[in-house]
Amino acid sequence: MSTADNKRSVLVGIFVLVGLVILVAGIFMLAGQQKRFISSVSLKAVFDDVAGLKSGNNVWFSGVKIGTVKKIEFYGDSQVEVTLSVEESAQQYIRKDAVARISSESFIGNKNIVIEGGTQKAPPVQDGDRITAVNPLDTDELVETLQKNNNNLAAITSDIKQLTSGLTKGEGTMGKLLTDSTLANDIGAMVANLQQTTQNTARASRALNQFTAKLNTPGGLANQALTDTTVYSQLRSSMAQLQEATNSAAALTENLRETSAKLNNERNAMGVLLTDEEFARNLKNTMQNLETSSEKFDQNMEALQSNILFRGFFKKQAKEEEERLEELQKQQ
Amino acid sequence: MKKINPNINRDDKVIAIRGLQKAFDDFEVLKCVDLDLYKGENLVVLGRSGTGKSVLIKIISGLLQADEGELNVLGEDVNNLTPRQMDALRLKIGFSFQNSALYDSMTVKENLEFPLVRHSKQMNQHDRDRVIDIVLEAVGLSQAMHQMPSELSGGQRKRIGIARTLILRPEIMLYDEPTAGLDPITCIEINKLINEVQRRFNTSSIIITHDLTCARAVGDRVVMLLDGEFKRQGTFDEVFATEDERVKAFYNYNFID
Amino acid sequence: MDPSTNKKTPETSTSKYVISRRFDRIFLEIHSIYAFNLRFFKEVFFPPYEFKEIIKQCYEVGVRSLPLISVTAFIIGIVFTNQSRPSLRDFGATSLLPALISVAIVRAMGPLVTAIIASGRVGSSIGAELGSMRVTEQIDAMEVSATNPYKFLVVSRVLATTFMIPALTMYTTFVALLGGYLNVHQNELTTITTFFTQVFDAITFLDIIASSVKSVLFGFTIGMVGCYKGYNSSKGTEGVGKAANSSVVTAMFLVFIEELLVMQVVNAIRAV
Repeated sequence: MSTADNKRSVLVGIFVLVGLVILVAGIFMLAGQQKRFISSVSLKAVFDDVAGLKSGNNVWFSGVKIGTVKKIEFYGDSQVEVTLSVEESAQQYIRKDAVARISSESFIGNKNIVIEGGTQKAPPVQDGDRITAVNPLDTDELVETLQKNNNNLAAITSDIKQLTSGLTKGEGTMGKLLTDSTLANDIGAMVANLQQTTQNTARASRALNQFTAKLNTPGGLANQALTDTTVYSQLRSSMAQLQEATNSAAALTENLRETSAKLNNERNAMGVLLTDEEFARNLKNTMQNLETSSEKFDQNMEALQSNILFRGFFKKQAKEEEERLEELQKQQ
Repeated sequence: MKKINPNINRDDKVIAIRGLQKAFDDFEVLKCVDLDLYKGENLVVLGRSGTGKSVLIKIISGLLQADEGELNVLGEDVNNLTPRQMDALRLKIGFSFQNSALYDSMTVKENLEFPLVRHSKQMNQHDRDRVIDIVLEAVGLSQAMHQMPSELSGGQRKRIGIARTLILRPEIMLYDEPTAGLDPITCIEINKLINEVQRRFNTSSIIITHDLTCARAVGDRVVMLLDGEFKRQGTFDEVFATEDERVKAFYNYNFID
Repeated sequence: MDPSTNKKTPETSTSKYVISRRFDRIFLEIHSIYAFNLRFFKEVFFPPYEFKEIIKQCYEVGVRSLPLISVTAFIIGIVFTNQSRPSLRDFGATSLLPALISVAIVRAMGPLVTAIIASGRVGSSIGAELGSMRVTEQIDAMEVSATNPYKFLVVSRVLATTFMIPALTMYTTFVALLGGYLNVHQNELTTITTFFTQVFDAITFLDIIASSVKSVLFGFTIGMVGCYKGYNSSKGTEGVGKAANSSVVTAMFLVFIEELLVMQVVNAIRAV
């Protein structure tokens, strides 16, 4: 090999070596700068305690890994400022009022930062924004809380124990209630009565059911009557009138009773009937009453016929008749 | 003493070397070598170990590259050949190595088949077997066909080595120390074989040796390599008819009584 | 003296070396390694193809390594499982043992163990074989018989290791997992179905791809280093020993470097 060839080989050798060095360095850079190729924004959060968070730990948002912890520095007196590198694509979903919290990937695993919260009202974060930090719930604190819960639970169970033992011994109103046998009997009777009442009620409601079912049968007279609200008000007034009539009837009966009692009380019935002016007046009154009440009854019946339940029916009949006539007219 | 081959054609140079130089690092092995090999000639290159005799034939066969100088083999300029042309030229050159260089992992037959399979593709297995038989018979080792090289003696290995180079019917044979490390009787057999090959296959040969017995037995012409240059050339007797101390020392050393 | 010889002398004294003799040697070596590798890619795609030799070498590298690989992988599976148990037991997580050994064996140990065993067995034998062929001029003999020794010796061997090491890696991984299974079954009474379900749950497609790529790389490295060292070994029997020795050492060293680099790349991919 000539000197020139030799030199050329040496130069190629140097070139190859340099190339190799660059390749290896590149591979290490690639691994060291994970996701450096994805454009990212940086967010900051200041924590009191980062609980062992390291740079390179993951950042989660809604359960999705969106970046890594870039830098951890002391801030102020004893606080820690954490710089997060967050993918640009996730930026729009993180609002300015979102909070950062330090969490664990598992009970013994790495720490991570969870960004959560945030409302649509707030605008999305910008590069370099500082978001609120929620200080971490560390394992010690968790255990402490659990301990408190334990203590509370113990107190509750002891109370319950006391209470149940009191109940069994018959102390207090509830205890008496549970232990007094006469009271229990009374309650038993009461319950029996209640039961009967309930049964009655049930029967009544059954009847009522049947009635309403009948009422509800479409096309039925009662149904038609009930579904019509004007009918209802008329029904109400008819009922009132009926009530009045009944009252009048009751007054009549009372008078009659009085009369008969008087008849029994006077010396002789015929004598009183014939002689007693007062009786005659009463009789006259009675007759008048009877007259008015029967007159009213007549009126009632009339009202019933024209106003109450059947008015719709009659009306309908009249309408049908009318239609029939119209049809006839059309046919002609 | 060898009877000079009557078939030598002094007008047909198969190898022509002019001003050949070769250096390893700072050590110049060949300083300025001029050499012609004529058709049908057995040329012996004499010289002490490390004088670059082997380097010379390795340059001829293309195993090494010359630093300077012209090298013409069978009409081809070796320095300016493509690898493909070089391979084509190599098929016409047989090279018998000092240590035979048989492929250890193959039997004698596979050793002989190795170049055949690759360069005589038109041959079928039957043809190949026939050619193998011919060359094995020529070197007198037909019985060794299925042996492994490790089972053979040094002389036998040498013969198989020669057989392997003959199988492609080369025009030029290059022998690197054909008798080195062999007992005198085997040496004589190998010398006879070299002459037999020359006659039977009509080859031109360069024989590298420091063995004067061999040189005298096979050489039509002898050249002496001293200090990277050819100092003497002619027949064996002509070469040593000199007052040069180094040549005389070489002669005396070989025939010490 | 010839005038051309004199002409050369002043030139050599002034600027024979680019840097210095020692550094030039280093860079020449790098160049020759580079050229040797480049030649592989130049020659592997062009005929003639030495199929017979490739198959023979595949047999040598692959099949002949099976007994050694089997025993080693099996023992590694058992030992690794057994040694990992205590630390998992501290967390009460011995049920995660199949996942742990799956990740460890598939990602790292399978390829690495195979590569190291192959460096020792295959790398040294290639180095020694080619070294002795160089020393006894067999490589020269091929060259003068116009057979491309690079193609016949180097390409076939490098292809064989490049194909066979990944195959052996898969085999190693399986046998090591089997060893791990036996140990887990013995201690945790895990069934083979549960074991292998956990094993495949723990690994991803990326793991298998990375493992395969890695073992292809390892195979290529082992073959290439063995061939380079053997092909360029110095003369003499000492050269053969040196070639064999430095084949193993260099191949193992490079395997670890590659493991490191591939790990970096895979982790970078995993992170994306």
